[in-house]
Amino acid sequence: MTATTPSAIAAGSRRPWRRWVRRHGWTTGIWILFLALIAYYSTLIPSFGSFQVASIVNNGSPFVFLAAAQAVIVIAGGIDLGVGSMLVLTSVTAARLMEGQPFAATILIGIGILLAAAVLNSIVGWIITVSQVPDIVVTLGSLYVFQGMALWVLPNPGGGTSEGYRYLFTGSNTGIGANPWPAIAMISIAILAVAWWLGRTRRGLSLYAVGSDTTAAYLSGIRAARVKILSYAVGGSFAALAGLATTAIAGRGNATTFGGNLTLNSVAAIVLGGVALTGGIGSVIAVVPAGLILFFLNPILSAMGVDPNRAQIIQGLLIVIVMMVTGLLEWRRQRRS
Amino acid sequence: MSTRTTRAPSTDDGAPPRLRRFGRYLATHPHLVLVAVLVTLILVTGAIQPNYLSVTGVRNSVLFAVPIGVLAAAQTILMLTGGIDLSAAMIATGAAYVAANQSPEGAVIAIGGGLLVGVLSGAANGIGVGVFRVNPLIMTLAMSAILLGLFTSWAQTIFSGSTRMGDFIRTLGGGSFWGRTVPWAVVVWAVLSVLVIYMLRYSGFGRNLYALGDNAIATRLSGTRSWQVLIVVYMIAGLFAAIAGLLLGGRVGAVDLQLANVFLLPSVAAAVIGGTSIFGGTGTYSGTILGALILGVLQSMLTFLGVGQAIQQMLYGSIVIGLSWLYTRIAAAQ
Repeated sequence: MTATTPSAIAAGSRRPWRRWVRRHGWTTGIWILFLALIAYYSTLIPSFGSFQVASIVNNGSPFVFLAAAQAVIVIAGGIDLGVGSMLVLTSVTAARLMEGQPFAATILIGIGILLAAAVLNSIVGWIITVSQVPDIVVTLGSLYVFQGMALWVLPNPGGGTSEGYRYLFTGSNTGIGANPWPAIAMISIAILAVAWWLGRTRRGLSLYAVGSDTTAAYLSGIRAARVKILSYAVGGSFAALAGLATTAIAGRGNATTFGGNLTLNSVAAIVLGGVALTGGIGSVIAVVPAGLILFFLNPILSAMGVDPNRAQIIQGLLIVIVMMVTGLLEWRRQRRS
Repeated sequence: MSTRTTRAPSTDDGAPPRLRRFGRYLATHPHLVLVAVLVTLILVTGAIQPNYLSVTGVRNSVLFAVPIGVLAAAQTILMLTGGIDLSAAMIATGAAYVAANQSPEGAVIAIGGGLLVGVLSGAANGIGVGVFRVNPLIMTLAMSAILLGLFTSWAQTIFSGSTRMGDFIRTLGGGSFWGRTVPWAVVVWAVLSVLVIYMLRYSGFGRNLYALGDNAIATRLSGTRSWQVLIVVYMIAGLFAAIAGLLLGGRVGAVDLQLANVFLLPSVAAAVIGGTSIFGGTGTYSGTILGALILGVLQSMLTFLGVGQAIQQMLYGSIVIGLSWLYTRIAAAQ
C-alpha cells in the first residue's frame, strides 16, 4: 500500500525488480535473515534435526499467532494491548473446558473459543469507535479485564486437553516430539488465509485504507468504524488461536501468566516484521519470521555460549536498530519525493 | 451558576437549562469529576469498612498511591509530548537495585547512584526518541528489555552485594513523623508535585512540552530545538522513575528485579484517568495526582471487600475504560 507517484510507476515499469524490492524488500529480507539464523544455528549445535525444527516451530507458534493478531489491528490503524491477556484467557478457558473430553469435542470447543474471542474483542473495538477514547487506553483496560476473567475461569494452574488436540498443534500426543509438520501447516494455513484476505479481498484492503487515512477512507465510501471493529474481531480470534496453541503445548492452562509481557512481545515482533505503528503499512507474511526470530534468539545465543541474560539485551538492541533503520529509510524517501 | 431567570433561548435538546449550565461548568472544570469520583470511592470504602475513615486508613491508600503517582509524573510529562515510558518500572527497579547495593557506602552515594541510573536510562531513551525518531512506545519497550538483561547479568557480577536498602532510604520510603501519621514518602511526593506543576504551568520548558505534543512541526518551525527538549524531558522522566524506585525499595526494605513491575500500567492508567491525552498536548499533573489517589483508594476498597484477584483486575480495567470514556465525553462537550 505504498503511495506510488507516477514517476515511481514509470521507473518501476522500466526496472521491475526495483519496484519489487521496494514492495517486498522487507518481507524478503526478514525471511532471509530467519533462514540464515536457522542455518547458522544448525552449525552451532552438534545434532540439528527435525527435533530442533519442531521445537522452534511448535513453541514459537503462539508468538507468531499473537504477532499476526497485533499486525491485523495495527494495519487498520489501532493497537491492542489486550491481545496478551486474550491469549491467557482463551488458553485457560480451553484447558478448563477440554479436560477429559474426546478429540471431536475439543475441536468444537476450540472453534467456539475462536468465535467467542472474536465477539469479545469486537466489543473492545466497538467501545473504541463509540467512545473516541484512544485505542491504547481502551485496550489497557481490556488487558486487565481479560486477565481478571482468566483468573476467574481458572484460579489455579490446571485443566487439560485431548491427545489428538495436542497433536494438531505440536505434532505429538505429549507436546514434545520431532514432527514439525502439523505446526507448520497450522501456521501456514492461518497466516496465508489472513494474508490473502488482507491483500486480495475488498474487505481486507479496506483495513489498509482505514489504517493509512481514516478520513480519506470514510470519504471514499468505506464504513471506517465497521472496519475498525472488524480488525479487532479478526485480531481477537488470532489471539485466541495463540491461546489454543499455548494450551496444546503446555497441556494445561495457567492464568497467572501476565498477558502484558506477551503483548509487548507481539508489538516488538510486528515492528521487526516491518508493520508501521502508524497504520496502513505492513504484511502479515513478514510477521511470521519476525515472531519466530524473537523467540529463537534465546536458543541461538545460548548455543553460541552467550549468557542468556545478554539475549534480552541483544533483543532490545535489535529492535531499536531496526526502528532506526526504518526511520532512516522513511526519512530518505521523504527527502526524495 | 446564577439564578434561573436567565433562560437560554435555544434549549431545543430538552435538557433543563440549569443542568446544561452545570454540564458546561463541568466541561471547563474537569477535575471536579475526578474529585467527585474520589470522594464517592472514599465514602463507599468507609461504608464497607467504617475503620477506613481514619488517619491510618487514608494513610494506607495514600502510601499505595505514592509510587504510582511519582511514576505517573514521568508518564504525564512524556505523554504531554506525545510520548510514553514503558521502561519506567524497570528504571525504578534498577535504581532501587543500585541504591541497595551502594547502601554500605552511605546514603548520599546510594541515592546518587540510584538517580544516576534514572538519568542515564532516560538520556538513552531521549536520544532514541529525539534524535533517531524511534517510536517512543518501541524505544522505551526495548530499553526495558535492555535494562532487565543488564541488571540480571550485573546482579551476579558487579552488583552482587547487598540487596537490603540502607536505613536512610528505608526511613524515606516507609517511615513517618508526627507520631507515625505523616509518611516521609508523601512529603517527597508533595515536593515533587509542586515542582512538576510549577514547571508545567510557568516555565518555558513546560510550555515547550505542551507545544511539542500539540503540533511538533509548528513547534520546530517556531525555533524550538525539539530534540534537545525531548532528551531533557526523558532524562527528567527517568529521574522521576528512579525516585519512585527508591521510595518503593525503601518501603519494601529489600529489592529484587521484579520490584516495580506491577506499577507500570497503573502509572499509565493514573495519567490517563487524570485527563492527560496519550496523543500529547493536553493534561495536567494535578489531574494525574487525583488519578493516582483514585487508584490508591480503589485498592483499599478492593482489599476490604475481600474479592479475589480476578474481580479486582476486571474492576480495575473497567474503571480505566469508564473514566477515560467519561473524560472524552466531557472534553468533547468543551
